[in-house]
Amino acid sequence: MRRSPFVVAGTAAGLGAVLGLHIGAPATLMPVSGARATADRQAHGAATANGSAPPAGSSGSSSAAPAPASASGGSAVPLVALPRTAVGASQQYGYGVLSVRVTVRGTQIQSVAVERLQTADQYSQQLAAQVIPMLRSQVLSAQSAHINGISGASYTSQAYAFSVQSALDKLHVA
Amino acid sequence: MTAGVAGGAPISHAEPVMGTVVSFVVHPGDLGAAAAAAAVARACQILHEADAIFSTYRPDSPVSRLRRGEAALAELPSDVAAVLELCEHAKEVSAGWFDPWAMPGGVDPTGLVKGWAAERALAELVGAGVLAAMVNAAGDLVVHGQPPGQSAWRIGIRHPWRGDALACIIEADAAVATSGSYERGAHLIDPKIGQPRTRAASATVTGPSLALADALATALAVAGPRGIELVVALAGYDAYVIDMDGGEHTSAGIRVASALPVPDEA
Repeated sequence: MRRSPFVVAGTAAGLGAVLGLHIGAPATLMPVSGARATADRQAHGAATANGSAPPAGSSGSSSAAPAPASASGGSAVPLVALPRTAVGASQQYGYGVLSVRVTVRGTQIQSVAVERLQTADQYSQQLAAQVIPMLRSQVLSAQSAHINGISGASYTSQAYAFSVQSALDKLHVA
Repeated sequence: MTAGVAGGAPISHAEPVMGTVVSFVVHPGDLGAAAAAAAVARACQILHEADAIFSTYRPDSPVSRLRRGEAALAELPSDVAAVLELCEHAKEVSAGWFDPWAMPGGVDPTGLVKGWAAERALAELVGAGVLAAMVNAAGDLVVHGQPPGQSAWRIGIRHPWRGDALACIIEADAAVATSGSYERGAHLIDPKIGQPRTRAASATVTGPSLALADALATALAVAGPRGIELVVALAGYDAYVIDMDGGEHTSAGIRVASALPVPDEA
């Protein structure tokens, strides 16, 4: 069984065009938006305890780009919001480990990219390569389409949403 | 947008359980956020209890013991017999396309248990009196009520191949379950031959019970579009199937919502 980490680099060209998500929007789906339940924190912590590989250096850290916005004390929206980035905690899913990198400007998501995708074997890599780009767009286009939930493939999507939420928590925007 | 709707922001919660993550969206309404959060905690407890009983990955679970022949049904928690009864029913109405007894390694109710557990979790929230709620067990979901400002829950059905799209959006008032060959690859077993085989890229079943919808979606992923007639014979159930060539097959009761993107509600 081969364990070769690989990274789906960057976001697709033109992805920015569909990034209209306002994070504070109440009628959105998935754990991506508005998660305040205290148990979420606990769950995020637990989900990093996977046995398949040590977390990559950046996983679970909030090694964000320098964020002058925080100079405002965190209580006020800065007049000019600069982009800020965080990497969500690694999430274990059915076929491996996944984490995503989220960039926001103010409370708007600007991009979501897969930071780390480690799968257990060749088969899973093929599957993940097929599924992940779809999921990346769904976190975004799903919001703009005003849906409340997604019915579909079991594993990867939730790990993805979970990691996004984790990143947003670090950025204090959701 | 729905800003300003009475009841405030929904509670979102994601619970790692049953080998995946189950997510909640709860609109507390008059119940209030604190009581709704307590109900979510109880609902999660229900999921963990179900996992402890039905996990085929835990060698000491009651179902694992049953599979190894180490315990008789009568010795096990009554939920096991109740779930197997539901499995028997699902096998019957699906003409054998869903058959936990035909799985390698012994009887395996996994294809129905996730939906069954999520359904019970939602019942806990409904019993507590929440205004509206969705429990999404990693793609198989069940809803109650209506999200504030909306006439129905809008559920995107994942497109099995295209990276930038949902296959469609449907309006739901109860259970929505989707299964597909893209999901677990070759791991969906055709019970008729005891080997991996699927005839649909994606199969969605809607209806009153998520336990049954979950089982029927699995059945249709294996049976393909011909299985739709079995589903529509059941009162309240409908199906949406994408065949291996990308063709879409929809029964009459599926409510397809307007294409995306849609404008904000004023």
